[in-house]
Amino acid sequence: MDFSFSEDQMLLQQTVRDFLEGECTVEHVRSMWDTDTARSPEFWGKLAEIGIPGLLVSEDHGGLGMSEVDMVLVLEETGRAGTAEPVIHTACVAAQLLQESGNDAVAKEWLPKIAEGSAIVAVQHDQSPFVSDAHVADLLILNSGDAVHAVPRADVQLTEQANNDPAKRLSSVEWTPRAGTLLADGDAARALQAAAFDRGVFAAAAQLLGVCQQLSEMTVLYATQRKQFGVPIGSFQAVKHMLAEEKVQTEYGRSHVYRAAHSVANAAPSRAVDVSMAKRAMAENAVSLAKTALQVHGALGYTWEQDLHVWMRRAWSLDTAWGNTAFHRARVSAAVIDGAFPAIPFGYEVPAA
Amino acid sequence: MKVMVCLKQVPHQDARLDVNADGTWIQDGNIKFEINSYDTYALEEALKIKDAGEADVVVVSIGPDRVTQALRTALGMGADRAIHVKDDDADLSDTLGCAKILAAIAKEENPDIVFTGFMSDDGNFSAVAPMLAELLDLPSATGVLSVEVGDSLKCERELEGGALEVVELPKPCLAAIQTGANQVRYASLKGIMQAKKKPVDVKTMADLGVSDAGAGAVKAKIEKVYVPPKGDSAEILSGSTDEIVGQLVTKIKELGVL
Repeated sequence: MDFSFSEDQMLLQQTVRDFLEGECTVEHVRSMWDTDTARSPEFWGKLAEIGIPGLLVSEDHGGLGMSEVDMVLVLEETGRAGTAEPVIHTACVAAQLLQESGNDAVAKEWLPKIAEGSAIVAVQHDQSPFVSDAHVADLLILNSGDAVHAVPRADVQLTEQANNDPAKRLSSVEWTPRAGTLLADGDAARALQAAAFDRGVFAAAAQLLGVCQQLSEMTVLYATQRKQFGVPIGSFQAVKHMLAEEKVQTEYGRSHVYRAAHSVANAAPSRAVDVSMAKRAMAENAVSLAKTALQVHGALGYTWEQDLHVWMRRAWSLDTAWGNTAFHRARVSAAVIDGAFPAIPFGYEVPAA
Repeated sequence: MKVMVCLKQVPHQDARLDVNADGTWIQDGNIKFEINSYDTYALEEALKIKDAGEADVVVVSIGPDRVTQALRTALGMGADRAIHVKDDDADLSDTLGCAKILAAIAKEENPDIVFTGFMSDDGNFSAVAPMLAELLDLPSATGVLSVEVGDSLKCERELEGGALEVVELPKPCLAAIQTGANQVRYASLKGIMQAKKKPVDVKTMADLGVSDAGAGAVKAKIEKVYVPPKGDSAEILSGSTDEIVGQLVTKIKELGVL
């Protein structure tokens, strides 16, 4: 069986890489930190022009009708470029959730807007008390017990929360469930919530894979240029073995991420375990690699001007997004050892709205 | 209107280049390739004409299987058709051989305008465009920074010293586009997917009736490719401008260069 990506998928990846190298430069990423929203509608528009928000949206609704197996390479590239825009929430999680909701009216209203880049959708999940990018969202997907609601931003009250990632804004959301915003309830809602969460976990893992690649490439480049005792520091075993070990872990995690993409795309019974395996592997690798990269860069790595911290912040931010490593370890453990999934052993209890 | 764009696939600008074993080219078996940067500007000019009205944009390239990716990218950007000359012997052509192959395609296609890049990122010969124009007996302009399409093609050319020249070419004609002539668009993901449905004609030299190109017809052969040796005796001249000029003239005379 051939597990490799097709030429088309590789060409899509290269196209996205070319675009992000030109438009999502590190200067662009840094420039967004100091803005009120940390977001640029102009840049989101460019992402839409090349088709990223609509990649999973069906062709009937103006999208490309592709799957997570195609999306995974795109997510990888966004991680590699340090792109912090709500690609995970809007393009990955919300697009599929609205399609799977069975609510044709809502899907018909919002999916074309997602595809054309005129709407951002933020998604709440049970592993965080706050919602990312709610401040720029046009629509929020919110949970209320066993019900899922699609709520326009005008109908919620947001309170910005402290956050150590300048590339992202978090908000707590106050709102009142209404019949008119109900997307699904009961078993259908639980299935939607589970699928949405697993999709977010997978997407975060895929972005972390890209972050790891970038951290690794930056650090290897530095280790081959920085000389000490007349030779590149990368020639010292203490340095190169450390980097080689990190690279091994990245490639190990890559397999999990690609497996997770396939499982999510095909709603495999093992989906929850597969995405948790991927997230755990990539998050642990990213956090470790960030530390190693900083160590190899030495004092220079601590400077604001050096770009290393741009990706270190992405690693730390994505590490805790969509469930932390402890949660995903427990989830895998429960599935493998106990043969069942834990309810929510770690994380936050979201107050009933 | 039909516009033909000649594309060359060249090593990616970030690719690590090593000289091959016989020292005649680079090792190109395991590196990334991309569309020659000059040619992307040529393609953009063609696509701008297409955007403005009726135009059929045909992209043409010579090379092995990997060239398909360059053509697919061009189709993804908006070109309508592609012609891929896939012929091991054609790959060994010199610039004149390439021009002859492209001329054979142009004679079949009868384009109103042929766009090429001003030069290639790898060879830097700037030879194919004028040769192609000569073989087709077309009026041409090189180093073109902007074009205006009407009954004729008005081209703004870059000259030395920052000067510009405007020439008007009756159609059919050929323009070799300079980098920076426009803002090259990105291929969209939708475009890439649609590109799968666009025709790519694969031809050989025999299909085109070309017998005087390829390895046997090479007139300009690359004898040696090498990394310039590092010098260890650089001398920095210092002083006022007049003093430096005086020192430089003395050095040149001492070396017997003039």
